[in-house]
Amino acid sequence: MRMIFINTKKFVRRLLSFRPTPRFVHAVDLAGQWAAPIMVGLVLIVAALYAPAFFNPTNFKTIAIQFAVLGIVVVGQTLVLLVRSIDLSVSAVLALGAVIVVQTEAGTSLNISLVQAFAVAAAIGLANGILITKRQVPPFVATFGMLVFIQGARLAYTKGQASGTVPAFLRMISIETVGIIPAALIVWLIVNIVFFFVLRYTRFGRWIYAVGGNPSTSRYAGIRVDMVMIAAHTICSMLALLGGLVLSGYIGYVDLRLGTDYNMNSIAAAIVGGTTFFGGRGNLFGSAAGAALLVMLLNLVVVLGLPIHWQLAMQGLVLVMATALQGFRQFLLSR
Amino acid sequence: MGPAEGKSPISRHFGKSLSFVRKNGSIFLIYGFIILIAGMAAIYSETFRTASNMANILRQSIILGLIAIGQSMVVLTGGMDISIDMIARTVALTVATLFATYESDSSLIVPLLFLGVTVGVTLGGINGVLITRTHANPFIITFGMASILRGVNLAISTTPIRGIPSPYLRIYDAKIGIIAINVIVMGIIWYAVWLFSTRTRLGRSLFAIGGSERVAQLSAIRINWTLVSAYVLSGFFAALAGLFVLARMGVGDPGTAEGMTFQSIVAVAVGGISLYGGKGSLIGTLGGVLLLTMISNVFNLMQVNIYYQQLLLGLVVLIAVAAYRSPRSVRPG
Repeated sequence: MRMIFINTKKFVRRLLSFRPTPRFVHAVDLAGQWAAPIMVGLVLIVAALYAPAFFNPTNFKTIAIQFAVLGIVVVGQTLVLLVRSIDLSVSAVLALGAVIVVQTEAGTSLNISLVQAFAVAAAIGLANGILITKRQVPPFVATFGMLVFIQGARLAYTKGQASGTVPAFLRMISIETVGIIPAALIVWLIVNIVFFFVLRYTRFGRWIYAVGGNPSTSRYAGIRVDMVMIAAHTICSMLALLGGLVLSGYIGYVDLRLGTDYNMNSIAAAIVGGTTFFGGRGNLFGSAAGAALLVMLLNLVVVLGLPIHWQLAMQGLVLVMATALQGFRQFLLSR
Repeated sequence: MGPAEGKSPISRHFGKSLSFVRKNGSIFLIYGFIILIAGMAAIYSETFRTASNMANILRQSIILGLIAIGQSMVVLTGGMDISIDMIARTVALTVATLFATYESDSSLIVPLLFLGVTVGVTLGGINGVLITRTHANPFIITFGMASILRGVNLAISTTPIRGIPSPYLRIYDAKIGIIAINVIVMGIIWYAVWLFSTRTRLGRSLFAIGGSERVAQLSAIRINWTLVSAYVLSGFFAALAGLFVLARMGVGDPGTAEGMTFQSIVAVAVGGISLYGGKGSLIGTLGGVLLLTMISNVFNLMQVNIYYQQLLLGLVVLIAVAAYRSPRSVRPG
């Protein structure tokens, strides 16, 4: 008994006074970058062993559409995270946009309602960006306040009722298939290709990494830091709206619960994919892998026949573990 | 001859009290608001100005008060606890389930109270250890923890749990005259917490860390230990809130403390504690709690639609956020 006690104490002390070797730092860095693809592989193996129904074509289509929605939203979230900010209002924007399109479509033409919805989303993103840059409100607080405000506005507008039918155009960009590929996946691919090029080959893309890497240096280098951050937030809100349109097309109606999980899931996907909260690190490939991981895990819960609340626990667990890993990685790298 | 000696004692005294007002501007502002709204409500609503309604407001403020105290501890260090309402719910549901299992045995009340507090403290401790050990963002860690606990709570029960022994309900019901005993206890708790935050070593350390972690470390404050204590305290007060809700509802309600996290952050921020940490006072938090409780009481008396209440709450927050005073050194992220 006594021996065990002493050993534990020694172990704890060694753990606390721990000095990382370069190799360890490198390993953690790699783990942080490749966690999502590796986990996707693991999930596929587990699914192959325990849940053959996972590979059913209809299930695959479900996964593809859900992945497309999350994949679109996570692109915006990644941009925002890259500039050291965060957006907790994506879920509200996503649902609000869907409500606007569905409700105004009844009276006016689809084009006008789409323009309206995107204008509202852009305005929300702009407001987020201005609050954060010009008033220096912590991003969490600003976007969290925005979330509550938009939800309140939506409730006051819809009185909590589910809204009418979804326009045929939205059904088309969501559940129709081109060959065997769902249209939603094509929308996702276009968004990703566009933003891959933007991040990689344009000045704006380089600015985003520069601002996230070091805001004050960027300012000295003549980058208009505030403008870059506001732009990132505006793009994020508009992408969230696009995701909402695809989602509503998939579900077929718009109600209060639409898209409530997308805040956490988009952040978790980006973080699992190697984006850190400290800005300047991360890419779209990682985020896409993170989105795939989350959607597959959530789907696996259903396919395995587990109670649905395990989905919530799963989301939280992925988020906590990924955040812990990335925080630790950033801590090691910045020593 | 210095400039101060030239002034008359009266003007020197006046200058001193003026700087006191300026320093505590947000606190004066919030209590001014409370008096204003209470005055207006008292003029327009007969029910509002009854003594029993006033006593009721105080009693209604207890749940938010407990949670806001816990939130203050964390916000003072520059963090935020999103899981606080879910910790309260987990505690309430766990204790309710155990009561139900042992057929509402009233001799179990005291041990189960302790158990509930232990659960809360443990969950808070897990938050704290994760945050300090991995250098992760407190907001996201607690956000994830909230989701995990939401799942766990759904696993415990999705329907109200019956079987709370009736002596337990006296926590909510017992009264001396018109004032409930729990209101008096809550008053003592507020005073104790205020003393803790201003007079004790740990309380001052919370402020120091929120002000500047680096300087706090150089002043030989144990950062990690203090941060973990802040989250443990937050879990502790969340547990108290959960236990109180249990006494109020009389059943283990799966909707316990819904939306309380956000309200507590609003109360703390409106009360003048800087969300960057390090600045503010528990007296402000008390003001924020009273203000929010009173507004919702007035709304209910005026029968305002719940949807518009949500909208207004969001609006209040946005204005509070937009009116935010920027700190001298900008810390993005």
